[in-house]
Amino acid sequence: MSVIKTENVTKTYNQTKVPVHALNGVNLTIEKGEFTAIVGPSGCGKTTLLNILGGLDHPTEGRVEVADINITDMSDGKLIDFRLQNIGFVFQAYNLIPVLTNKENVEFIMLLQKKDKKTRDDRAMDLLNQMGIADKADQRPSELSGGQQQRVAVARALASKPKVILADEPTANLDSKSTATLLDIMARMNAEENATFVFSTHDQRVIDKAKRVITLEDGVVISDVVCTPKNPN
Amino acid sequence: MIIKIAWKNIWRSRARSFVVIGSIVLGVWALLVATGFMNGFMVSYMADIINHDISNAQVHNPVFKKDFDIKFYIPNGAKKAATLRKWPEIKATTTRTIINGMIASPKKATGVQIRGIDVENEVKVTQLNSLIKDGAYFEGIKRNPIVIGSKLAEELKVKVRSKVVVTFTNNEGMITSGAFRIVGIVKSSSLKINELYAFVRQEDLAKISGIGNQVHEIGILAQPQVSEASIISKYEELYKEDKIETWREIAPELAFMQSIYSQMLYVLMVIIMSALVFGIINTMLMAVLERFRELGMLMAVGMNRVKVYLMILIETVFLGVVAAPLGLLIGWLTISYYSHAGVDLTNYSEGLESFGYSSILYPYLDDNVYVIVTISVFVTAIIGALYPAWKAVKLNPVEALHKL
Repeated sequence: MSVIKTENVTKTYNQTKVPVHALNGVNLTIEKGEFTAIVGPSGCGKTTLLNILGGLDHPTEGRVEVADINITDMSDGKLIDFRLQNIGFVFQAYNLIPVLTNKENVEFIMLLQKKDKKTRDDRAMDLLNQMGIADKADQRPSELSGGQQQRVAVARALASKPKVILADEPTANLDSKSTATLLDIMARMNAEENATFVFSTHDQRVIDKAKRVITLEDGVVISDVVCTPKNPN
Repeated sequence: MIIKIAWKNIWRSRARSFVVIGSIVLGVWALLVATGFMNGFMVSYMADIINHDISNAQVHNPVFKKDFDIKFYIPNGAKKAATLRKWPEIKATTTRTIINGMIASPKKATGVQIRGIDVENEVKVTQLNSLIKDGAYFEGIKRNPIVIGSKLAEELKVKVRSKVVVTFTNNEGMITSGAFRIVGIVKSSSLKINELYAFVRQEDLAKISGIGNQVHEIGILAQPQVSEASIISKYEELYKEDKIETWREIAPELAFMQSIYSQMLYVLMVIIMSALVFGIINTMLMAVLERFRELGMLMAVGMNRVKVYLMILIETVFLGVVAAPLGLLIGWLTISYYSHAGVDLTNYSEGLESFGYSSILYPYLDDNVYVIVTISVFVTAIIGALYPAWKAVKLNPVEALHKL
């Protein structure tokens, strides 16, 4: 069952005199439970594609369907609600809320979804446990290392059990040990919760873990390979 | 959670928040103190004039005040005053015979309003005895005692026990004079009491005026909390031939002054709160701009614009929640202290007294001023937050997330 479907998606930026074609007719179908890496050199359109898949940006042309919802021409207001209910985001810079504790950060999206306190508490503690940072639940993000903060961010993204988790260069700011730990956790969550992960990266360690690798170049998909992860653990 | 985040957000940059809180505290304090001082001037000025001169209401012959002709007395004035005294709405009444004339000392002569008073009842209505600065209130001199104002005494260059002569046109149109001896000198915020009035016993004046026991004025002191309007309507129903007026009609300048002073609160409030609005806008705008990426993330993960807007608004209101009680408390303490201790303005007494103001100022604030100021702080905080909050919700999450 596909959770993401794009048809001939094009994105052109006209902010300068010369139009920039970030995406040029991208056709994709991503099935539920996939662990997909979108790779390519800087400026190839990875982040633009993720933004469009996540409903943060509109395509110039084409059609985007996520979780059976056509979001191509959805209004900004409706897109906010769509993202809340369907998408989990992991950002390169973690983007945790510094004034909240790690547990509160994980709970935050469930709170926006108006889930009851017990559900929030149980889910947040369960995820922090799985991330190996349950003992940091009541600390602030600033008290954690970069790798630990990114684990909190992954827990936040998973908390509401979204249809898709989109991660933009999730390991770009991490050292190799933190990267390995984070990848293990993401792979395990993919397996245990059947969560669909789509992440942009040019980190070979991440690419090695992916079950499917889509390569972009100049806004065009030049290869789409389903593979067996080289180092499953 | 929004409330929790908003509360925690204001403590992110403590120095900045304290600057805003400090400016609100200072603004509220300044507003209360300035209003309290202005009110103090007004209340003491008005209270002096109303309590010691005009009283709540006065009755006259309808044509008497046109030219203060001695003939236009109140028919059966003394009897009417006695009747009024029995009304439950009325605390006290007094009668006065009023004649304009001249007063002369051995050194100087000047115009004067000679007020023949009912010595005992006058005290009940105007507490004239409490204004005695020198001498006594109709005690110590048996024959023709007179009480005059301090300015008049200065002008005539007289003191207690000095002799003065009053001259006026009597009931038959003849110029008549009487010699009086100064028994007391009064001092008040009322320029009339200080400069214009000369108080004599009604019976002494009757001997030379030729109008016997007739009176020109009934002064009425209402019971506390009784509306003057109810007394007026009751009197008018009973004695249609007379003219009864409240202090507002007798001294419209006082009523005007009261309304101007009450407007001054709003003028000051607009000035101070306008300055505060810009401080709040500046601070909140900085808070929004430095959290661009975080706000972008909040919108990216599904926090809708209304909630983002509310969060910024609540943050600003919290600044007011912290600052307003502090400002109100400090303001209240200041006003409470000086309302008992008084502010000594004797260095400026000459100037103040020439305008009829007391040289000791007792600031005063109605309770409702605190409520109005509190509301104004929150309205100001909300106005100050509108633009920064609008700026926050207008941002594009994609651009915000990539802001460095």
